[in-house]
Amino acid sequence: MEVLMGSYIIRRLLMMIPIIFGILLITFLIKALIPTDAVTALFSGTVTEDKAAEAIAQIRAKYDLDKPWYQQFVIYVGNVLQGDLGESIRTRQPVMDEIGYRYVNTLILTAAALFIAILVGLVTGIISAYYKDTWLDVTSMSVGMMGISMPAFFFGFVLIFIFSVQLRWLPVIGRGNFESLILPAVTLGFIEAAALSRITRSSMLDVLSREYIRAARAKGLSETFILFKHALPNALLSILTIIGLQIGNLLGGAFIIEVIFGWHGIGELAVKAIQWRDFTITQAVILISAGTYVLINLVVDVLYTWVDPRVRYD
Amino acid sequence: MDKYKRLTLASCVFACLSASITNAETLRFSIGEDPESLYNVATNSLTANSVINTYLLERLVYFDAEGQAQPWLAESWEVSADQKTLTFQLREGITFHDGTPFNAAAVVYHFDAIRDPNNASPQAAKLGPLDTVEALSENSVQFTFSDPYAPFFNMLAGEAGGINSPSAVQAGGAGYGRSPVGTGPFKFESWLPGSEISLVRNDDYHGQVRADAMNQGAPHAERVVLSVISEAGVAQAALEAGELTGAGLQADTIGQFVDHPDFTTVIDETATNLVFLEFNSAKAPWDNPEMRRAIGYAIDRKAAAAAAWSGYASVALSPLAVGIPGHDAEIGVSYGTPYDPGKAAALLDELGWVDSNGDGIREKDGQAAEFLIKSYAGFTHITRTLQVIQANLDDIGIKAELETADWGAFYPSLLEDDWDMDLMRWTSNDAGILTELFKSPGHRNKLAPNPAIDDLLTKCDTTLDPVIRFECVANAQKALLKDMTIVPILTSWDVFATQANVKDYTIDYLGYLLPGDVRIEE
Repeated sequence: MEVLMGSYIIRRLLMMIPIIFGILLITFLIKALIPTDAVTALFSGTVTEDKAAEAIAQIRAKYDLDKPWYQQFVIYVGNVLQGDLGESIRTRQPVMDEIGYRYVNTLILTAAALFIAILVGLVTGIISAYYKDTWLDVTSMSVGMMGISMPAFFFGFVLIFIFSVQLRWLPVIGRGNFESLILPAVTLGFIEAAALSRITRSSMLDVLSREYIRAARAKGLSETFILFKHALPNALLSILTIIGLQIGNLLGGAFIIEVIFGWHGIGELAVKAIQWRDFTITQAVILISAGTYVLINLVVDVLYTWVDPRVRYD
Repeated sequence: MDKYKRLTLASCVFACLSASITNAETLRFSIGEDPESLYNVATNSLTANSVINTYLLERLVYFDAEGQAQPWLAESWEVSADQKTLTFQLREGITFHDGTPFNAAAVVYHFDAIRDPNNASPQAAKLGPLDTVEALSENSVQFTFSDPYAPFFNMLAGEAGGINSPSAVQAGGAGYGRSPVGTGPFKFESWLPGSEISLVRNDDYHGQVRADAMNQGAPHAERVVLSVISEAGVAQAALEAGELTGAGLQADTIGQFVDHPDFTTVIDETATNLVFLEFNSAKAPWDNPEMRRAIGYAIDRKAAAAAAWSGYASVALSPLAVGIPGHDAEIGVSYGTPYDPGKAAALLDELGWVDSNGDGIREKDGQAAEFLIKSYAGFTHITRTLQVIQANLDDIGIKAELETADWGAFYPSLLEDDWDMDLMRWTSNDAGILTELFKSPGHRNKLAPNPAIDDLLTKCDTTLDPVIRFECVANAQKALLKDMTIVPILTSWDVFATQANVKDYTIDYLGYLLPGDVRIEE
């Protein structure tokens, strides 16, 4: 058993290599199609652009931007395999220095948002299912509908307007502390909570109509016991699948939210790097995000076996 | 502040007092992006420039309200008879933040660094025909040019002119851009990458020597915190929430701050940008100045200013932006093309462009007046200006097709021949911009040699006496309007808002804040 699980995990980890390789290849192909590079961006809007041709050529050569894309790709992959992500073309600082702490910030934001999503989503979902068709159900599902329909950046601005500009409870400017974490985490978390709540409700409803629940009730077990010991664990499998997918959404959604709230994570960095055509940063962010996503999915798959012992990987 | 009030009520008066003092003595502004470096040799980013040159570094000269160079770190200067040699006497007794002396060697070091090919400095082209920089003595430095170069004063007063401490540059190596050292009123304190840059008052400040500064001593504020906020809407929310002392405003939201009792707006109308239409003069019909003039009369600049900038822009008739030394409004009025669609239509008739088939579009020799206008994408104000132009041209029977692309694709595409007009926006502090853009063959190789313009521009660039130079620049504006090389459209204003209790928030001629002057009234 243990051995089987171990080899499964190793197999999945090995599968990450072609996935990430493929993603990088696509990134380089897109990059080849974009007419500007970081050096043009650095010099853009200045009349001296043409006069600085020598300086421009020099920087291009330094970052291999003068080579065809497939050569750049080979050089890049070679460097990554040696653990070298290069340096930012814009700031000329090592990519790891630029990304390291921001990656941690993104994980903090994602974790906080996930916590809010799970807490709110599960609680409202269970309540809705249990009190099906009552005002509680209708209210929580309507609020949920709003959450699903509203774009995150809009909801973010609404929260800034209410809690920062009007009430002045929370800061607009992100400073990386707990106070600054609340609004972006709530924005991201609320939207995912809405989706999670609906899934929780429907899978709970499905489980609650099963024979074994009726049997449990017939045995005279308490409703709380039935709900949390019999119904929830069985509903959890599909909920877990959604949560796994949502972590991906959160990582992606964080890109825009980080910019709005000035939360200095890899999303904000990626948006700026794209604007600046700073491809060494963009590639590293893509590499790290993809790796994180694949790893999290692996963790979720392993969690299945723990939630439902019937699930086996062999 | 509400939070602090509650705190006072609950417990200690003292804590509240100290909290409010800290607030009063800290200026909080936003910057649109995290600068890649704060070393002015390594970057030409506008954000980096605003941080470096407003607070940390000082230049040899500054520009007064009339656009004339005035002494700053230099006490005086002399121009040789052949105008090729400039000798500056530097102020004595000035030290950098690291305690090392500011002297001729520091100035030489700075200009050598810009020219050092190993630094690949984006500022290098601004030095023009500079041959040598030499320290004649401890406090005297000499620049020698192969040809006279008038825009050099602008370079000295502008982004690349700030003098860094050579010992700090050497000690910092590649990391110097993350901890700059100058002689300015504020010292670099810390930089939380991507988040904020913190500056602290230079208590050993030598005393302001710019004659235009109100406060001649050390700055009123103890600290400056510059937060990186890339979304303009967020910066404005932060200003409204009281988290920022001041912020630049977007045209769309200026209205919310003007006349609001909680805020003071500062409007700089003498901005140095110019939005203009350019022509592919290498091909017909744009090789004819009268055709270009017809377009000039057709453009409703007021409507463009209203649509693109909510009216916070000046109508431009002269090819030199209002804020650039040498701008002459009179010439624009006398020789320019104010909005007059009737005149535009009459000119087109004269040129043989008439609508003979009644489809609303003029024709000449079987060619319909359908033209392509190119510009760059990503800026609402450009898109809106283009739409106004399109409507204006439609009014006089010209059908304009609009095409926008990313700057990096758009700008090189102007070297091709498949376009008729392009909408441009350049910002510069010096009349030398006219040479850069419009001296034949022009910045996009489309201008035929025109001695009336070319010789004048050469003369302007090689005349160092400001009075004679301004005269020359005035003549150049006249010549460009006679040729209608471009159709000037507008200059957008720089608009800032500060909290109402912020006093003496003054912007100088080149757009730099005088940070030592800014006070927060209790």
